[in-house]
Amino acid sequence: MLDMIIIDGLSFALPLFIMAIGGIYSEKSGITNLALEGFQGFGAFTGAIAVVWLSGIFGPSSQVPYYAGFVCAVIGGGIFALLHALLCIRFKADQVISGVVMNILAMALTSFLTKSINASLFGNTANKFMLGASTRITIPGLSEIPVIGAVFRDIYPFEIIIVVVALVMWYVLYRTVYGMRLRACGDNPHSADAAGINVYAVRTVAVFISGCLSGIAGLAFAYSVSANFSPDIYLGYGYLSIAALIFGNWSILPSLGACLIFGFARSGGAAIINQLGLPSGYNDLVRILPYVLTLLLLVFFSKHNHSPRALGQIYDKGQR
Amino acid sequence: MKAQKFTLSCLAIIISLLFGALILWLMGKDPIAAYMNLLQGSGLMEKAKYAGRQSMFTDFMSFIDAMTPMIFASLSVALALKGGFFNIGVSGQMMAAGITAHILAGFIPSRILVVIAGFLAGALIGALIGWLKYRFNVSEVVSSIMLNSILMYLITFYINTFYINPVSRQSKSIVDAARLTISGFRWEKLKVDIALAFPLAIITALILQWVLNRTTYGYEVKAVGLSPRAAYYAGMNVNRTSLLTMTFSGALAGLAGVSYFCGYLAAIQPGTTPSMGFDAIAVSLLGGNNPIGCVLASFLITVISKGTVYMSSRQHIEPEIASLITAFILTFASCSAVLDRRKKK
Repeated sequence: MLDMIIIDGLSFALPLFIMAIGGIYSEKSGITNLALEGFQGFGAFTGAIAVVWLSGIFGPSSQVPYYAGFVCAVIGGGIFALLHALLCIRFKADQVISGVVMNILAMALTSFLTKSINASLFGNTANKFMLGASTRITIPGLSEIPVIGAVFRDIYPFEIIIVVVALVMWYVLYRTVYGMRLRACGDNPHSADAAGINVYAVRTVAVFISGCLSGIAGLAFAYSVSANFSPDIYLGYGYLSIAALIFGNWSILPSLGACLIFGFARSGGAAIINQLGLPSGYNDLVRILPYVLTLLLLVFFSKHNHSPRALGQIYDKGQR
Repeated sequence: MKAQKFTLSCLAIIISLLFGALILWLMGKDPIAAYMNLLQGSGLMEKAKYAGRQSMFTDFMSFIDAMTPMIFASLSVALALKGGFFNIGVSGQMMAAGITAHILAGFIPSRILVVIAGFLAGALIGALIGWLKYRFNVSEVVSSIMLNSILMYLITFYINTFYINPVSRQSKSIVDAARLTISGFRWEKLKVDIALAFPLAIITALILQWVLNRTTYGYEVKAVGLSPRAAYYAGMNVNRTSLLTMTFSGALAGLAGVSYFCGYLAAIQPGTTPSMGFDAIAVSLLGGNNPIGCVLASFLITVISKGTVYMSSRQHIEPEIASLITAFILTFASCSAVLDRRKKK
């Protein structure tokens, strides 16, 4: 049972984590990002199209569609995110409103396109793309360690992708010139500008990255939660990852902690309810946990939380 | 200034409709016929033929029925925005009000009680968000998103465990004596849906307009919304005003909830939040956060959402096109707020 909690918890926490990193990139550069929900949905949509189309070419047993799907999810999420960047940076729209608008647009656009594409290309009227189950990997040797061995058992391939990408993203944000500039843009864009940094470009790239990372998360959720892409993907996981990054005080490692807590609270709760033999309706009660936890922690720690100082402010070169 | 806002909203609508027309045209449909179908489906134009006991008038009455909760919801968003809050929690407040009214109506079937229960339940959630904001400095956006999910799962659990209608997989229906819409009222040879809350929605919009423009409280709301610090130095009680604003915004969302779940619909669907809470943001932005503007914008958005059923059956288009056009309007409306700001400079 403990194994199940670890395996399920990780497969939920890691996509949440990669999306939270995306959010951190965007918010550290000074752009409020409530649009993660929409980004992950749109990324999952483009990825799912690629998977469905390529499995028709390579056959169902090939691994090519799986990885190509993730590449397409990254590209799709990134391109959709550029729209948020366009509204927030070029058109100077209110970032909170733009974020909400992006979510609504993503939901409307993907459910419309899913139906239209299904009708015109594949000739059926379904509102979803079937992805098929993902393969699972067990790492020999490591998985035989008692208790923690479960971490290496039955893992989805995307979990490895996520860990690798997360490491790279951590390095870029904290150890490279671009990362430092990005953080400067979020704290004091005017002095960053005076130091010769192009604030608009840095922020645009940051929002693009957040879209790319959310795309990975979106397709990962599509694989692990439902094995298909349908408009049901908009379950609020994007908002949950925003909660995780606020909870993690806008830094990557504490956010990982928050995501793990959310993931294990979810899988642990489900396991307990299963064990007690309660009806599955009680799962809904467990799903409240991460949200209540976040709300309570915000109440107690809001005063110690330091959001990036210029977060949500529209940067205007001519303003002083 | 006001005329300019009106022009900008119209511009956003026209661009979006042109965008929608372009999509329809690319799909090989006739955009003009499709848009006429929207009007016909909303009872604003005569359809070619009607089923028994139906006419343009019955269509129009069910259009009004659908529009009523939207007016309340957009007023809720508009009031909050005026006071400097972004109430993204309308969906959760609607559900909380809906379930409270449903439960109470099970004991005492009375329409007045349903309205009061909805008002109070919404107000309570709104007040909680406002209190968290001023007492603990928790951003209202984050707390209302969290509350949306908490309420949604809580209510889903309650409905699935204690209050389910096993046939429809929805909650049980509210008794007719407490429902805010008289469904299938026989009038001459027609079956009409009468939205009893509609006059209340119009009166609320007028009262809100009067309060915002003609009372001290309304002035304080706007002052706090524009600059809390300036309002504080002018001697206003910023905390009290913010709390009141969020409370009333929640109460309006509560009224939207009862007119939606205990009026337009008779039951609550578990497992989802009503998308109306988010569409209301679009409506409010489109209406320039002005109560009268909200009523006009609700009219337009409801034409699109209500008329789509008829349009998609006539033109063989996916009904999702309605939410797509609404999303376009929203996108352009959020940009037009910018144009407005630029011109002011």
